[in-house]
Amino acid sequence: MAAFSPFDIVDIQARPNRLVAQALSCLLFLICIGLYMQTSINRHKENPEDRVTPNATQLANGIHASVFEPAEEDDYIPADDASKWERFKHSMIVKDTVSSGRRFLISLALLIPAVVLALHIGLFPWFGAGFLRFVLFFDKIVALSLLPILFIVFGIDEWSKIALIVIGVAPTMILDVTQMVKAVPQEQIVKAFTLDANNFDVAYRVVFRQVLPQVINSLRLNLKPMMLFLFAGEMIAASDGLAYRIAIMRRHMGMDVILPYVLWVAFLLFAIDLSLRLLNRRMHPWFQA
Amino acid sequence: MRDTQASKSRSLLYAAAAFLLLATCVSSQAKADVPTFTVGWSVYAGWNPYFYMQKSGILKKWADKYGIAIKVQRFDYAASLDAFVAKNIDACTMTNMEAFDLPAAAGVDSTAIIVGDYSNGNDAIIVRNGLTFDKLPGQKIMLVQKTVSEYLLERGMVLNGQQANLSKLKLINTSDSDIVAAFMNNKSNPVVVTWKPLVSQILADKSVHSIFDSSKIPGEILDLLVVRTEVLNRPDGSGQKFAKAVSGAWYETVAQLAAGQANAIKYSAGASGDSVESYKEQLKTTSLFATPKSAADFTTSPTIKQKMDLVRQFCFAHGLLGQGIKSADDVAIIYPDGSIQGKKDRVRLRFNATYMQAAQQGKL
Repeated sequence: MAAFSPFDIVDIQARPNRLVAQALSCLLFLICIGLYMQTSINRHKENPEDRVTPNATQLANGIHASVFEPAEEDDYIPADDASKWERFKHSMIVKDTVSSGRRFLISLALLIPAVVLALHIGLFPWFGAGFLRFVLFFDKIVALSLLPILFIVFGIDEWSKIALIVIGVAPTMILDVTQMVKAVPQEQIVKAFTLDANNFDVAYRVVFRQVLPQVINSLRLNLKPMMLFLFAGEMIAASDGLAYRIAIMRRHMGMDVILPYVLWVAFLLFAIDLSLRLLNRRMHPWFQA
Repeated sequence: MRDTQASKSRSLLYAAAAFLLLATCVSSQAKADVPTFTVGWSVYAGWNPYFYMQKSGILKKWADKYGIAIKVQRFDYAASLDAFVAKNIDACTMTNMEAFDLPAAAGVDSTAIIVGDYSNGNDAIIVRNGLTFDKLPGQKIMLVQKTVSEYLLERGMVLNGQQANLSKLKLINTSDSDIVAAFMNNKSNPVVVTWKPLVSQILADKSVHSIFDSSKIPGEILDLLVVRTEVLNRPDGSGQKFAKAVSGAWYETVAQLAAGQANAIKYSAGASGDSVESYKEQLKTTSLFATPKSAADFTTSPTIKQKMDLVRQFCFAHGLLGQGIKSADDVAIIYPDGSIQGKKDRVRLRFNATYMQAAQQGKL
């Protein structure tokens, strides 16, 4: 390898070798961790009980509490000889993940009809005439500001949170998918008709199959907005869930629990994103994203 | 002609700009010599006067007297506490409960220098369908969890002989910005615990009524001005000056308010966007220590220790002191007479009546 010259940074054709590339990709992580540790150490020097930036011991305790201890509002008291697995099953992070995860998955499932609707809007002129303008308008509504109305319609239990996610994300998805459907060359559709396809063959077997990988990619981009809406909903009114716990912990600066929770949510999102990506590659090897 | 005029006015502009720049340099230099303190406050009947105190110039008058500068900044309640614990502000308004479970429990040694008022009906438990305490278990109860609302609910249950049922309460943590809409629009949620002015908004609906409020537990929900102890004890004495100035200004403000001075009430009401009517109604259920004597007497009385003991046991029982704290005694409180509640080497919250007493004796 040629020696490194500073101009390589602005050279499109200069590639760092593998080792350097790996090291560079870790660099910002290390800087962040370093900055955090320095802040934490400084703050602990001033106040050994600081909670804003918990140190390693505090974090370890926080993680232990979230992974092996039941939520404070639960009645469950582990037996003295309860195994780690037993404790883990009743821990607060499992409880919160299950309830948040259920809301998330139900909303995800409710996006399927939205995608089908989008296919129809993009393909069938009558649907387009009826829905497109309304969805365009609805997409610009800030769902969070309609909460009092959502409360009337959906109550304050599960459905208002799910509705918040779906109302927040579905219009954007619909518009996005409609665009993809419209981008399918008209010639293909004409050709399919000449080969004796009926309307639904064209919709579901020609167009839908083609846009599906793009739809999945669009969904991947929308995971974060979905999680944001879920968090907003859980912080407004809830009695369990990941964001509920964070809201409660904030009341006494329980950053030792909040930080692990935030990282856990990040990991979950990453895992969902990765599995969707792998699924996409498996299902549509022909698709180049 | 036009050209010269233009260039003339332009050079005038430059001169003005240069002057301004110089002026700001000089004034910021001058400011740097004066110790500056920041007080954070949030919207509440008993704290709104801070807004008037600043607007009316009362605060500036007292700050000038002690040769310091005091800034007053409005926050959301939670944000003000965050800023205080992060040491971004020097003093902050908060309840006795938050003073104990936030800065004190997080190791930020704090001193309450003004005991401003206690909630005497500002916080309330409101029910539909004529529910009573013995029917609350199993019902959904909306409130902001881990705040004085939950404390009030628990005290209400205990005082009505329902202690055994405490664990059967189904609490729904609801943000205070949405709690009114969430309660009013859902007939299936029969109970809400919140504070004024939200309480007044909810009670405007005649089909619901209050079954318990803070007037039944007088002196337990205190509203304080808390200063970081390290600020108070600054070696150059500026912290002391700050405490004196702010106390002096506070009692001048409150005296005006108690005397019903129109501007004092109008601006204090405006601080939370309330009408004068509504603010007066809130003041009725706020037991203001209008004179320094009443505040000092309360702070030095044995009553405050009993009330604080209830609060600290509640905080500990609800895990509000954090993972690392194994006993309520780990966050100790010291009172004006020198007595300590908790472990002697772990004093974190101090009630200091010095400045209220000084105001009482006219020594500020």
